Amino acid sequence: MESDIFRALADPTRRSVFEKLALGGMNASDLRRGMTISQPAMSQHLAVLRSAGLVRERRDGRFVNYEVDPEGLVRIGQWLARYRAYWPRRIDDLKTLLKDMDQ
Amino acid sequence: MSDIARDPRQGQGEAEIALEYELDAKPERVWRAIAVPAFRERWLPGADLAEPEPIASIPGVEVRYRMREEEAPFADSTVTFRIEPGPNGGTLFRVIHRIEGAARRYASNDNLRPMSLAA
Repeated sequence: MESDIFRALADPTRRSVFEKLALGGMNASDLRRGMTISQPAMSQHLAVLRSAGLVRERRDGRFVNYEVDPEGLVRIGQWLARYRAYWPRRIDDLKTLLKDMDQ
Repeated sequence: MSDIARDPRQGQGEAEIALEYELDAKPERVWRAIAVPAFRERWLPGADLAEPEPIASIPGVEVRYRMREEEAPFADSTVTFRIEPGPNGGTLFRVIHRIEGAARRYASNDNLRPMSLAA
Protein backbone atom coordinates (compact mmCIF):
# COMPACT_ATOMS: atom_id res chain seq x y z
CA MET A 1 0.00 0.00 0.00
CA GLU A 2 2.71 2.46 1.02
CA SER A 3 4.91 2.20 -2.01
CA ASP A 4 1.78 2.48 -4.17
CA ILE A 5 1.65 6.19 -3.42
CA PHE A 6 5.19 6.49 -4.69
CA ARG A 7 4.51 4.67 -7.87
CA ALA A 8 1.21 6.41 -8.44
CA LEU A 9 2.80 9.83 -8.24
CA ALA A 10 5.98 8.93 -10.13
CA ASP A 11 4.14 9.40 -13.40
CA PRO A 12 3.79 13.04 -14.53
CA THR A 13 0.41 12.46 -16.16
CA ARG A 14 -0.99 10.93 -13.01
CA ARG A 15 0.44 13.77 -11.02
CA SER A 16 -1.34 16.32 -13.17
CA VAL A 17 -4.58 14.32 -12.94
CA PHE A 18 -4.19 14.33 -9.17
CA GLU A 19 -3.49 18.06 -9.17
CA LYS A 20 -6.62 18.74 -11.25
CA LEU A 21 -8.71 16.73 -8.84
CA ALA A 22 -7.24 18.65 -5.94
CA LEU A 23 -9.10 21.69 -7.31
CA GLY A 24 -12.40 19.84 -7.15
CA GLY A 25 -14.04 16.57 -8.08
CA MET A 26 -14.88 15.89 -11.72
CA ASN A 27 -15.70 13.07 -14.08
CA ALA A 28 -13.28 11.33 -16.41
CA SER A 29 -14.17 13.29 -19.54
CA ASP A 30 -13.83 16.64 -17.76
CA LEU A 31 -10.50 15.43 -16.52
CA ARG A 32 -9.33 14.65 -20.04
CA ARG A 33 -10.13 18.16 -21.26
CA GLY A 34 -6.92 19.92 -22.23
CA MET A 35 -4.92 16.72 -22.07
CA THR A 36 -3.86 14.55 -24.98
CA ILE A 37 -4.81 11.29 -23.41
CA SER A 38 -7.17 8.53 -24.49
CA GLN A 39 -10.13 7.50 -22.42
CA PRO A 40 -8.70 4.03 -21.62
CA ALA A 41 -5.41 5.61 -20.59
CA MET A 42 -7.25 8.01 -18.27
CA SER A 43 -9.19 5.10 -16.76
CA GLN A 44 -5.95 3.30 -16.15
CA HIS A 45 -4.35 6.30 -14.46
CA LEU A 46 -7.43 6.76 -12.28
CA ALA A 47 -7.32 3.08 -11.34
CA VAL A 48 -3.71 3.43 -10.22
CA LEU A 49 -4.50 6.56 -8.20
CA ARG A 50 -7.46 4.78 -6.61
CA SER A 51 -5.49 1.69 -5.68
CA ALA A 52 -2.90 3.95 -4.06
CA GLY A 53 -5.65 5.49 -1.94
CA LEU A 54 -5.09 8.96 -3.36
CA VAL A 55 -8.32 9.25 -5.32
CA ARG A 56 -11.81 7.90 -4.73
CA GLU A 57 -14.87 7.78 -6.92
CA ARG A 58 -18.36 8.95 -6.15
CA ARG A 59 -21.40 8.16 -8.19
CA ASP A 60 -23.44 11.18 -9.21
CA GLY A 61 -26.50 10.04 -11.14
CA ARG A 62 -25.27 8.56 -14.38
CA PHE A 63 -21.79 9.90 -13.90
CA VAL A 64 -18.90 8.79 -11.81
CA ASN A 65 -17.08 11.66 -10.23
CA TYR A 66 -13.53 11.37 -9.06
CA GLU A 67 -12.16 13.27 -6.11
CA VAL A 68 -9.08 13.42 -3.95
CA ASP A 69 -9.25 10.94 -1.10
CA PRO A 70 -8.54 12.98 2.04
CA GLU A 71 -6.90 9.99 3.71
CA GLY A 72 -4.22 9.90 1.05
CA LEU A 73 -3.50 13.55 1.75
CA VAL A 74 -3.43 12.87 5.46
CA ARG A 75 -0.69 10.32 4.91
CA ILE A 76 1.40 12.81 2.95
CA GLY A 77 0.72 15.37 5.69
CA GLN A 78 1.90 12.94 8.35
CA TRP A 79 5.11 12.32 6.48
CA LEU A 80 5.74 16.07 6.22
CA ALA A 81 4.91 16.68 9.86
CA ARG A 82 7.26 13.96 11.03
CA TYR A 83 10.23 15.25 9.09
CA ARG A 84 9.56 18.90 9.81
CA ALA A 85 10.18 17.93 13.43
CA TYR A 86 13.01 15.52 12.63
CA TRP A 87 15.42 17.65 10.60
CA PRO A 88 15.86 20.58 13.04
CA ARG A 89 16.93 18.06 15.71
CA ARG A 90 19.40 16.46 13.32
CA ILE A 91 20.81 19.85 12.35
CA ASP A 92 21.30 20.70 16.03
CA ASP A 93 23.36 17.52 16.39
CA LEU A 94 25.28 18.41 13.25
CA LYS A 95 26.17 21.80 14.70
CA THR A 96 27.37 20.15 17.90
CA LEU A 97 29.52 17.78 15.87
CA LEU A 98 30.99 20.63 13.81
CA LYS A 99 31.98 22.38 17.03
CA ASP A 100 33.55 19.17 18.38
CA MET A 101 35.53 18.79 15.17
CA ASP A 102 36.94 22.23 15.98
CA GLN A 103 38.84 20.92 19.00
CA MET B 1 25.04 30.87 13.67
CA SER B 2 21.85 31.71 11.89
CA ASP B 3 19.29 29.47 10.35
CA ILE B 4 17.20 30.26 7.39
CA ALA B 5 14.57 27.61 7.47
CA ARG B 6 12.55 27.95 4.36
CA ASP B 7 9.02 26.70 4.66
CA PRO B 8 8.62 23.12 3.57
CA ARG B 9 6.92 23.01 0.23
CA GLN B 10 4.05 20.74 -0.46
CA GLY B 11 2.54 20.27 -3.85
CA GLN B 12 -0.66 18.36 -4.21
CA GLY B 13 0.75 15.00 -5.04
CA GLU B 14 4.35 15.33 -4.15
CA ALA B 15 6.00 15.88 -0.87
CA GLU B 16 9.24 17.65 -0.34
CA ILE B 17 10.89 19.30 2.58
CA ALA B 18 13.52 21.87 1.63
CA LEU B 19 15.52 23.51 4.39
CA GLU B 20 18.43 25.90 4.25
CA TYR B 21 20.90 26.67 7.01
CA GLU B 22 23.90 28.92 7.36
CA LEU B 23 26.61 27.12 9.27
CA ASP B 24 29.71 28.75 10.75
CA ALA B 25 31.94 25.82 9.80
CA LYS B 26 33.89 25.78 6.55
CA PRO B 27 32.47 23.78 3.64
CA GLU B 28 35.36 21.28 3.85
CA ARG B 29 34.50 20.46 7.43
CA VAL B 30 30.76 20.24 6.74
CA TRP B 31 31.57 17.92 3.87
CA ARG B 32 33.42 15.55 6.18
CA ALA B 33 30.54 15.69 8.68
CA ILE B 34 28.02 14.60 6.07
CA ALA B 35 30.13 12.17 4.03
CA VAL B 36 32.50 10.39 6.43
CA PRO B 37 30.45 7.57 8.02
CA ALA B 38 31.91 7.95 11.53
CA PHE B 39 31.05 11.66 11.57
CA ARG B 40 27.71 11.25 9.83
CA GLU B 41 26.72 8.67 12.43
CA ARG B 42 27.02 11.29 15.17
CA TRP B 43 24.24 13.46 13.84
CA LEU B 44 22.38 11.25 11.37
CA PRO B 45 22.25 7.72 12.79
CA GLY B 46 22.59 4.83 10.39
CA ALA B 47 19.42 3.39 11.93
CA ASP B 48 17.50 6.16 10.20
CA LEU B 49 18.98 5.28 6.82
CA ALA B 50 17.89 2.48 4.52
CA GLU B 51 21.56 1.85 3.84
CA PRO B 52 24.63 3.46 5.42
CA GLU B 53 26.31 4.28 2.13
CA PRO B 54 25.22 7.27 0.03
CA ILE B 55 23.28 6.43 -3.12
CA ALA B 56 24.89 9.36 -4.91
CA SER B 57 27.66 11.76 -4.16
CA ILE B 58 29.51 14.66 -5.76
CA PRO B 59 32.59 15.13 -3.57
CA GLY B 60 32.55 18.44 -1.75
CA VAL B 61 29.17 19.42 -3.18
CA GLU B 62 26.38 17.05 -2.39
CA VAL B 63 25.58 13.65 -1.00
CA ARG B 64 22.33 11.70 -1.12
CA TYR B 65 21.07 9.02 1.21
CA ARG B 66 18.04 6.82 1.17
CA MET B 67 16.05 7.15 4.36
CA ARG B 68 14.45 4.25 6.15
CA GLU B 69 10.70 4.66 6.34
CA GLU B 70 9.33 2.05 8.69
CA GLU B 71 6.47 3.79 10.38
CA ALA B 72 5.85 6.26 7.63
CA PRO B 73 3.24 5.89 4.97
CA PHE B 74 5.95 5.66 2.34
CA ALA B 75 8.31 2.85 1.48
CA ASP B 76 11.37 5.07 1.40
CA SER B 77 12.54 8.53 0.56
CA THR B 78 15.77 10.26 -0.33
CA VAL B 79 17.53 13.13 1.32
CA THR B 80 20.12 15.29 -0.42
CA PHE B 81 22.58 17.45 1.48
CA ARG B 82 24.09 20.19 -0.62
CA ILE B 83 26.83 22.49 0.49
CA GLU B 84 28.28 25.66 -0.93
CA PRO B 85 30.45 28.43 0.46
CA GLY B 86 28.43 30.79 2.63
CA PRO B 87 29.06 34.28 3.93
CA ASN B 88 32.04 34.88 6.26
CA GLY B 89 33.78 31.64 5.37
CA GLY B 90 30.85 29.56 6.51
CA THR B 91 28.68 27.11 4.67
CA LEU B 92 25.29 27.29 3.08
CA PHE B 93 23.75 23.93 3.89
CA ARG B 94 20.66 22.64 2.14
CA VAL B 95 18.53 19.67 3.05
CA ILE B 96 16.17 18.40 0.37
CA HIS B 97 14.08 15.47 1.48
CA ARG B 98 11.48 14.05 -0.85
CA ILE B 99 9.40 11.02 -1.53
CA GLU B 100 9.38 11.92 -5.20
CA GLY B 101 13.08 11.10 -5.50
CA ALA B 102 12.53 7.51 -4.55
CA ALA B 103 9.62 7.36 -6.92
CA ARG B 104 12.00 8.07 -9.74
CA ARG B 105 13.34 4.58 -9.39
CA TYR B 106 10.02 3.39 -10.66
CA ALA B 107 9.63 6.06 -13.28
CA SER B 108 11.78 4.25 -15.79
CA ASN B 109 9.58 1.28 -15.17
CA ASP B 110 6.34 3.10 -15.67
CA ASN B 111 4.79 0.39 -17.77
CA LEU B 112 4.10 -1.33 -14.47
CA ARG B 113 0.51 -2.48 -14.65
CA PRO B 114 -2.04 -1.76 -11.94
CA MET B 115 -1.82 -5.45 -11.11
CA SER B 116 1.64 -5.01 -9.70
CA LEU B 117 0.62 -1.75 -8.06
CA ALA B 118 -2.20 -3.29 -6.08
CA ALA B 119 -1.65 -3.55 -2.34
